[in-house]
Amino acid sequence: MPPKPILDGYKIIDFTQYLAGPTATRLMAEMGADIIKVEMSPYGDPSRSFPYRSREKRSAYFVQQNRGKKSLCIDIKNEKSKAVLADLIKKCDVLIENFAPGVVGRIGFSWEEVHKLNPKLVMCSISAFGQTGPLSHLPGFDYIAQAYAGVTSVIGEPDSPPSLPMLGIGDVTTGVHAAGALSFALLDAHRTGVGQHLDISLLDCYFHQHEVNVQAYSASKGKIVPRRAGSHHYAVAPTGIFQGPQGYIMILALLHQWPVLCKAMGREDLTDHPLFATNEDRIINLKQLIVEIESWLQSFATDEEAIAALQAVRVPVAPVLTVPQAINHPHHRARGTVRTISDRMLGEFDIPGMPLRFSNHPDLLPLEAPFLGEQNREILSEWLSYTDEQIGTLETEGVLTSANH
Amino acid sequence: MHPKHVLDGFKILDLTQYLAGPTASRLLVEMGAEVIKVEIAPRGDSTRFLPYHKNNRSCYYVQQNRGKKSLCLDIRSEKGLNIIKDLIKQCDVLLENFSPGAMDRLGLSWAAVNAINPEIVMCSISAFGQEGPLSKLQGIDIIAQAYAGVTDMIGAKDGPPALPLLALGDVNTGVHAVAAINAALLNRTRTGKGQWLDISLLDCYYHAHEMNVHVISASDGAMMPKRSGAHHYAVSPLGAFKGAERYIMLMGSLHFWEPLCKLMDREDMITDPKFDTNDARVANANEVVEIIETWIQRHNDDEAVVEKLQGARIPSAPVLTVAETMAHPHMRERRTVRTIHDRLAGDFDIPGMPLRFSDYPEIMDLEAPFLGEHNAEILSTYLDMSAEQITALEAEGVLDSGDS
Repeated sequence: MPPKPILDGYKIIDFTQYLAGPTATRLMAEMGADIIKVEMSPYGDPSRSFPYRSREKRSAYFVQQNRGKKSLCIDIKNEKSKAVLADLIKKCDVLIENFAPGVVGRIGFSWEEVHKLNPKLVMCSISAFGQTGPLSHLPGFDYIAQAYAGVTSVIGEPDSPPSLPMLGIGDVTTGVHAAGALSFALLDAHRTGVGQHLDISLLDCYFHQHEVNVQAYSASKGKIVPRRAGSHHYAVAPTGIFQGPQGYIMILALLHQWPVLCKAMGREDLTDHPLFATNEDRIINLKQLIVEIESWLQSFATDEEAIAALQAVRVPVAPVLTVPQAINHPHHRARGTVRTISDRMLGEFDIPGMPLRFSNHPDLLPLEAPFLGEQNREILSEWLSYTDEQIGTLETEGVLTSANH
Repeated sequence: MHPKHVLDGFKILDLTQYLAGPTASRLLVEMGAEVIKVEIAPRGDSTRFLPYHKNNRSCYYVQQNRGKKSLCLDIRSEKGLNIIKDLIKQCDVLLENFSPGAMDRLGLSWAAVNAINPEIVMCSISAFGQEGPLSKLQGIDIIAQAYAGVTDMIGAKDGPPALPLLALGDVNTGVHAVAAINAALLNRTRTGKGQWLDISLLDCYYHAHEMNVHVISASDGAMMPKRSGAHHYAVSPLGAFKGAERYIMLMGSLHFWEPLCKLMDREDMITDPKFDTNDARVANANEVVEIIETWIQRHNDDEAVVEKLQGARIPSAPVLTVAETMAHPHMRERRTVRTIHDRLAGDFDIPGMPLRFSDYPEIMDLEAPFLGEHNAEILSTYLDMSAEQITALEAEGVLDSGDS
């Protein structure tokens, strides 16, 4: 018998919407947890309206982030919903929310209330700036926290505006941080029998990625000032994006790889050349260094040949793939870094793979994104033993809503 | 008795170096686990040689390795390898980020490790994963980033891609590893069995494509995401707008468009067919940017503009430099940035602990080890070795140590 999924039997009540929170519960759904996605009636998660949408108004964006969750579409402002939600909280192991700080308290589910309802439950709050501090009350999205984290300022050409990374780096990593913290807290609850409250923020998670900027500026007393430097690193050379015969090529030669690179280029004269001998020399003379490397790259007919020449001597190198090239790359396909899923309305399309790979649970679960309120009835009858009549009444009163997409 | 922290009592054997693996074990140590950092004799973790150095101490190494115990060992010698195997018997987690295949050659394949300790969770971190056509390549953060289609999505539309100057890939991969390790430890409480985790930079970078992949695929290529400089290609207005002296990040789409127009005294734009929907604004994005920048610059006071925007609950931010973040009252109050102390390098700042637990609010007091600092402690407490045995291993060069 194949083992049960890794989080089999864990029950999560999920108040989150948009991206960061749904990423955390998406990972947990992929690991087999039961996720009740609480959607605000009447429209549900705003990402249900994000492109790409089919003519039937099914959003591929929503599908990617919400496969395998059960949708409970409920009017949380209606008093009657409070009892339903409180009953569900009593049955769950985890509550996760990403309202603006303070809001969850105003709807009656502050950490203190929740902890009283279910002392073993772990609650995770995700926000842009955290539950405390002068910025905590501000509205925040991925890029807003990114700007405050000093991250935007280190991306782009030095004399031009900063560049926006066109993917959800902050939201997704915050979701992964939250999923990591949740497993720790569940492990802790397993030993202590007591749940706790987690405070995860986009700002902290973005800031966490400054592997060198913060300490270099601080320890050098401001002598080293991290700044954006376009296609090349400001402190390590050669490290950056070079023009190849056809496209862009990423090359990174750490200290011990510099002589290897020179040899591969047939330019052993550069190894100890006074302009390039040390990393400091190469930073000072970066422009000339780029000219030397790019003119060598241009001696190849194709990018592939240039890349092969460097891979043969184990100098780190890569083609700068476009997203379509990455989607169709044989490695990404072979490994399931990209995978094709099927949706009832959208049919088959590709999404990123499951990045957490477990040897005892090698198979991906077949998951489907819910229609709005699709599991209203199932959740209330199976989890809370509501009768058909009770559920019918809640539907008539507009406490529960559902839709066919 | 309540444990001291979430992972109090868990033992981690950490064979990783550089950044992705050490990030994972850094988070584990911040949550109270005991981490034995095996450093390869005689030089140890290569990051000990990365700048910025102060009093012969790498601040880079310190940031990533506080609280770990250093065991500096010749892992290729038979005696060194036996020590690793004996430690595997006592640990809950084994972390490694060698090139795929290297553990196998050391006799430490998952099958071998699992046979030594069926309860251990082994986590392998690599650039491209343990299998697949690229798995044998040299891989470092930005190399995987390029292969993941991420680099191509960053930078000015008509220029070369731009390199993000922070370790989005390595740190994020470490966090993914931590999430997987914990799920596996949690699962072990029910099954009693460990397992092998295969975490790669490529997968973790690719995972951040929250929409690019499905948009291309579901639209059959009709929609083609492209890097587009300071402004989003599919959402408008969303981007970095030029102020009088700095850039201002502003998100004025969705339900924020109406309050933004009102704030700018341009209520006509709420219903103007050129601007009334996100699609219309994307089609006229240059005009939208120009109108907003003109309005911002008219104030000649970026701080006042941000205050106005935030007062109207429109998501907005000054684009802070790293130096500015480190002096910001919110980052200080919340300890998003914190000052640490090192025996040699003194006081300096590093990012805070991003996982915050209500039951364990205190940040642990941790210090990065000198090379091989804990050789004797680890071998005597874990493996009951005598002082004579340890001295013999030192003399044979199986163990090594340094004074920084």
